[in-house]
Amino acid sequence: MRSRTSGLGLLLISPAMLLLAIFFFTPALLTGVFSFTNMSSSTGISGGAYVVTPNLLKALSARGMQPATIEALEEASYSVDADGLAAARAADVDPAFLDEIEARYAGRAYATDSDFLAALKDLPSRPRRIRDLKLAMEPFTKSVLNVRFATEELARTAIAERVAGISDDEMATLLSESYTGWVWTTENFGKLFAGHETWRIIANTIFYVATTLTLFNVTLGLFLAVTTFYLPKKLGAIFTVIWLLPRITPVVLYAIMWKWFTWDDGFVAVLAGELGLPSFNYMKGSVTSAWTIVIMVNGFIGASFGMILFSGALRSIPIQQLWASEVDGATRWQQVRYIILPQLRWPILFVTSYQTLSLLTSYQEIWLTTNGGPGSTTTVWALESFRTALFNYSGSLQYGLGAAMALLLVAVGLMLSIIYLRLFRFGELVTQPKIEF
Amino acid sequence: MQITLKNFTKSFDGNVVIDRMNLEIRDGEMLALLGPSGCGKSTTLLAISGIHRVNGGQILFGDRDVSNLPSQKRNVGVVFQNYALYPHMNAYENIAFPLQVRGQSKTEIEKAVGQIAALTHIEPYMSRRPGQLSGGQQQRVALARALVRRPDVLLLDEPLANLDAKLRLEMRSEIRRIQQETGITAILVTHDQVEAMSMSDRIAIMDQGEIMQISTPDDMYRNPVNRFIAGFMGNPPIVMVDGRVEGTAFETTSGFRLPLPGRLGGLKHGRPISIGIRPEHFGSTGAHTVAGTISFVEPQGRESHFDVRVGEGVVLRSIQPSRRDVAVGQPVEWPIDIESTLVFDEQGKTL
Amino acid sequence: MTRNFSIWPVVLILLLISAPIVIMYSYLALGTVTTTEPGDLLPSKLALDNWRFLFDTSTAAGNIWIATLNTFVFAASIMVIVLTVSATGGYAMSRLNLPFRRFVLSGIMVMHAFPSVTLIIGVFLVLQFTGLYDTMIGVILVKASLMLPFGIWIMKGFYDAVPWEIEMAGVQDGASRFTVWRRLILPQVRAGLVALGLFAFLDGWGEYVLPRILAPTNDFRVLSIVLELVGNPDRTNYDFDLFKTVGVFYTLPVLVIFVFFQHRLMDIFGGGTKG
Repeated sequence: MRSRTSGLGLLLISPAMLLLAIFFFTPALLTGVFSFTNMSSSTGISGGAYVVTPNLLKALSARGMQPATIEALEEASYSVDADGLAAARAADVDPAFLDEIEARYAGRAYATDSDFLAALKDLPSRPRRIRDLKLAMEPFTKSVLNVRFATEELARTAIAERVAGISDDEMATLLSESYTGWVWTTENFGKLFAGHETWRIIANTIFYVATTLTLFNVTLGLFLAVTTFYLPKKLGAIFTVIWLLPRITPVVLYAIMWKWFTWDDGFVAVLAGELGLPSFNYMKGSVTSAWTIVIMVNGFIGASFGMILFSGALRSIPIQQLWASEVDGATRWQQVRYIILPQLRWPILFVTSYQTLSLLTSYQEIWLTTNGGPGSTTTVWALESFRTALFNYSGSLQYGLGAAMALLLVAVGLMLSIIYLRLFRFGELVTQPKIEF
Repeated sequence: MQITLKNFTKSFDGNVVIDRMNLEIRDGEMLALLGPSGCGKSTTLLAISGIHRVNGGQILFGDRDVSNLPSQKRNVGVVFQNYALYPHMNAYENIAFPLQVRGQSKTEIEKAVGQIAALTHIEPYMSRRPGQLSGGQQQRVALARALVRRPDVLLLDEPLANLDAKLRLEMRSEIRRIQQETGITAILVTHDQVEAMSMSDRIAIMDQGEIMQISTPDDMYRNPVNRFIAGFMGNPPIVMVDGRVEGTAFETTSGFRLPLPGRLGGLKHGRPISIGIRPEHFGSTGAHTVAGTISFVEPQGRESHFDVRVGEGVVLRSIQPSRRDVAVGQPVEWPIDIESTLVFDEQGKTL
Repeated sequence: MTRNFSIWPVVLILLLISAPIVIMYSYLALGTVTTTEPGDLLPSKLALDNWRFLFDTSTAAGNIWIATLNTFVFAASIMVIVLTVSATGGYAMSRLNLPFRRFVLSGIMVMHAFPSVTLIIGVFLVLQFTGLYDTMIGVILVKASLMLPFGIWIMKGFYDAVPWEIEMAGVQDGASRFTVWRRLILPQVRAGLVALGLFAFLDGWGEYVLPRILAPTNDFRVLSIVLELVGNPDRTNYDFDLFKTVGVFYTLPVLVIFVFFQHRLMDIFGGGTKG
């Protein structure tokens, strides 16, 4: 008989499910969905309007739109209606003149400048100067230029009114080009693979992950764990604490300390100067030094993590094995090589796999130190995606493109985490509840 | 309260562990469910207590069908093998907990806990946490907690398994005393036949999800229905010898011969049978004697166990009051009480 | 164990590797009570006035006490959400019958391994749509939610370690499953709650990116933001000694918590898969 669903269980799990759905599942979904849009800070997020601007017409004309259509759109028309009269009154046009206009021409429309001008010249109280006359005409202008149409239907009607007999093709082009909101597109992925920066950033990412992981997270982590294990207790504890600091220090403080350490007048520069070595901004001054610093900044945190994990694994090796090996006459190195390292195989694999994922997607430390510089030499994929979408100084944030970049990371992350779960057999931790009521 | 299991069936993930089991526990008796590990005895206990759901059949408390009631509505007291005392509460709070969740008043609780503490002899330890109590004391607290709300039935899951040898003896009689004083219906789950025999009114012996025999301890020892039960009851265990019927006698392939008990006349010549000889029936009294060589002596203080090689591949065991006149390698000729031996057919059924 | 090796070479290598950390942190501590001329290696004079930001709101650090209070509220809210939701969710996952339990659990495990930083763009969009963008509540909810898979997973582990018999004994004693959880099981996982709570608090205390990106103009400034403002060397009025002092002020609670609860935290640091 199947165990029945526990009402209490549903109640207890629902807050978790709700939060995870909103802030985990939905974002992942949205990353996928919006990577197929051109959403950016200029399109806005919640949709847009239809606006035909003179610039747009210029561009369309260059792309070969019928000159007649362009002209018709550019041309202003005039109509004498309540709105126009009110606007003219507000613009301090002579009231007597306006009264005459209203009496004679109310409800009429004029297709061109000259028609309206001719009509106005018939009126007795018209202004003498042509300039004043033009000023008086302006409030009656009806144009599609620079008008925000909230819906496609309104824009279509207005354009059709202006350009009689516009072709369907041209109407479609006008409508799509004049839309200011975001639209669906697959361009983002095209852009990604066409850009020469892309491959460079991918190469950077691979270099960064591989180097940091092997040198620091695994090798240094192991070295620290093994040495602190063998050192006298107090001495070992001191080094353990030193190496815990990078892990527990808030990231801003940690990153800016590195800046202090390697900046123009920073410790390293000054020390190098005193020793007669080249003294410059080591963090951004040269590509080699920038990479060294970036890898060290992240590597120290990684080594900290590795040390904690490996130390735990080391302590779980039965001490009798080590005693036995000493009785057998093994040197310390042989003990490490033949007894300890083989038993750390799984922790090493674990650190390697999980830290690959975490290095692949981390950008905070690089962002706060070199920020990918000098140039884009230390820019990695995650940082570039973050900056494209959410943080750059030019101010134009390209959410769609950034999402497309993040989507790749999400996909890789999802794949790797599923593989790791199988690899480390997390599934075995799922057991059936024993109380069946 | 009489407990009845009718066609009780239990399966896990499609594997039937217990198939249509029937069992009746009489009002006020202590019934031992005895069997090797994995025989389904704990599953049965958990089903009675309302932790497991039944997949078929019924569980009746008196006339009430409780098959689909959760534990909270069954009024069962359970003592778990590891006692499952709440580590963050002292003994008093542990015992008071069932009454508290029932919403009883403070004075009522105090009175009930006081009574049960007196019954189980734990008054001096009431303010101690489980971690500060010895195994035996924890056991008493667990008993007190199970009994304080006057359950219809008391279930004991391997209650002595976690105690050392000396405490085990003490708690054996203590549990029996408390059960008898309260007159509660109790089920004892155990894999230890000594425990089952010494504590219970009746024993139900289980193997592979089936009850093979229900009987009083004495009767089960003397008249096991099959070879499995005969082997399970008694320590040191019964010795089995396989062979065939040769007229009115039994003979192994290697030529070792024994006469068959008088009650078994007319067994077919050549039929494969086994004969079971308990250690106490070899070496003290009996008309028939066998000769052999002592191959092993295990002194136990008050008594000694002897292994005697009586033929090719046949070693009989004897238990006798301590004696120093025999040693390993010495030839002996000891009597066997043929009438008390047990004879089994090919399928292991007692003849 | 016998000492069949000479420890000094090892200590020397360790010292060499640890030098950047040791130098950085000692200068951090030193900088709070001294001033160093630009271009010098050693501090020139004792100066306690680096600490003036504590009562002087005109420094680049602004009103530090408000920022401190904000950070505390921020971190504590995250802690409370993570603790309550993980304590309930972890129990349900560990002990109760739920539909698709296996599926949900493996989902949570995948999310646990999954690097949540990659979701920040999606999270930004969610906050925009729900109107929580640029609000502290939004940032708190995001930060807490991103920690949930870890929290639920850790708590499930602690619940799994509580013997089933305690739970069984509880229902035998007539208590409802809720009472069993509340009065019998929760006290058994106290160590887990303390560790997870501390971890969540420290994580919230150190958080920088989320408030910076998801609530950029909000008045609710936390210490990490203040510290970044003070410490940015691209700024005209930057003052590294002030930065160090604020940095120490900011990190002290972390160190204190760590010193007192090191062993509890180590379990969870080791158990956490993210570095």
